[in-house]
Amino acid sequence: MNGNPADRNAQAAVPLNAGLGGRPRWLTRGLASLAGAAMFVAPLMALLLIWAIVVPLFGIDQRVFPSVAAVGAAAMESIRDGTLIRHIGASLLRVGLGTLIGVVTAVPLGIAMGVSPAVSTFLTPLFRFFSVLAGIAWIPIATLWFGYGFGAIIFVIFNAVFFVVTYNTLLGVSTIPLALRNAAASLGAGRWALLTEVLLPGALPNIVTGIRTGLGFAWRGLIAAEMIATNVGLGYMLFVARDFYRTEVIILGMIVIGALWLLIDRLLLVPLERSTIERWGMVRRA
Amino acid sequence: MSILLGAWSAYTKMTARWPGVAAVVPFIPLLLLWTAVAQSGVFPRAFFPGPADVARSFVTLTYKGILPDYLQDSLLRLITGAAVGMIIGIPLGILIGTSKWAHRIAWPILLFFQAIGDIAWLPILLIWFGFGLTTMTFVIVYTVLFPVVLNTVLGVESVPRDLARAARSLGASRARVLWEVTLPGALPNIITGLRNGLGYGWRALIAVEMIVGTSGIGFLMFDARRAGSTVEIVLGMIVLGLLWYIVDAWILAPIERATGRRWGLVTS
Repeated sequence: MNGNPADRNAQAAVPLNAGLGGRPRWLTRGLASLAGAAMFVAPLMALLLIWAIVVPLFGIDQRVFPSVAAVGAAAMESIRDGTLIRHIGASLLRVGLGTLIGVVTAVPLGIAMGVSPAVSTFLTPLFRFFSVLAGIAWIPIATLWFGYGFGAIIFVIFNAVFFVVTYNTLLGVSTIPLALRNAAASLGAGRWALLTEVLLPGALPNIVTGIRTGLGFAWRGLIAAEMIATNVGLGYMLFVARDFYRTEVIILGMIVIGALWLLIDRLLLVPLERSTIERWGMVRRA
Repeated sequence: MSILLGAWSAYTKMTARWPGVAAVVPFIPLLLLWTAVAQSGVFPRAFFPGPADVARSFVTLTYKGILPDYLQDSLLRLITGAAVGMIIGIPLGILIGTSKWAHRIAWPILLFFQAIGDIAWLPILLIWFGFGLTTMTFVIVYTVLFPVVLNTVLGVESVPRDLARAARSLGASRARVLWEVTLPGALPNIITGLRNGLGYGWRALIAVEMIVGTSGIGFLMFDARRAGSTVEIVLGMIVLGLLWYIVDAWILAPIERATGRRWGLVTS
């Protein structure tokens, strides 16, 4: 591409679009986010280094705190025999399924209730009460109703997501100015157009915030529920390792839990939240 | 129809005069529905107790003194944890918020440790401290700490630099700038952080009491689970929900609103 003089001309003619230094914009942005990622990882690497130095230096007992090498070996071993993947897979499947069911049922319900101001003011305290209870508090009764295992855990996660998302959707729909709805209706929008072009986009930032909060509770609920009520999953992996004093497996599990949540939150939920809020901000300005 | 509308307008008038009514009345149809389902016998009574059973067990457990005792234990743990979390969290947050380098170094570490989450610490804490109060307190402090620190940092950074500079050039010492500019400026965020932290801490407390507890509402519920007594589980859930609702809606939310409003006045 650089060999063609016409192309070079074209590049020189539009320096503003190409960004500073003639680099394409996606590259500059990519490099910037790469540098940002490096800045983010550096302190964690430093922490790892301190860990690697301190544990052998003070001769800390393996049973109290494992060395980096021991955790690495545990990671390699559990990856090789497939147990780590199995536990992660089970946990993610539960969170994914529970969240999916929760969101799919909560959003329509929230919108349906939010459309009428009377209904929404009446029901808000109820949903507030239940979103307070969401998650962990349901573990005992869920295990009683569904038995120990998959059903109980899915129920706990569904619960953590459902009430928080419904409450937030309700809030989102009821904060849409009535004038906007009336304007759309008087310009000839039908019920369907009103739903897809006013109510849903208007409530979207709240819905996404609700999903993020709910998923935060669900993730914690999942770990707790797995410790109590199952035989596979990350929480179970940690709790069984405790029985055998295998601290290296515990630390490995904690790192995996932290890293997974950080990835889900930073790469999926935060960008989603930001993009919906930005979009709505633009819509309101226009 | 007109009767319904009349009732509704009377209801809105009443809630406008006493806002407390609006927080109570919606629960009445729910209670009725619950009673109806329990009475209809769709679900076996042992799995799905009615309100009357729960009320009876509330009276019994209160009379025996179990419920007040457990409630006191849980609240004491939560308050201790929250206090320690704030005492550590607020200074740490201010330190990280005022220094750019401290922020760069600490932010990823904070996010990572927050992501690990309270309950995942439980197994290793059990190895370190055994089943007991230290483990529970550690988990709650840990849960409260991170939202407080992260929000304090955000709050400190949201205070316009010019305000601190103006105070400095008018002769305020660093300590006074901290006390009279940074801290009040960050206060709304600190309160928000505390509110979030307590929300998470409350849930963590329940989980910890279920797993390591020998007392507390979480233990009450899990012990009832072992005995297969649904009534006490439901009672525990209602107590938990009510308690947190009261704390959040009547104590934390007003404080949050008040600090926000005050700060709003200061800037204008």
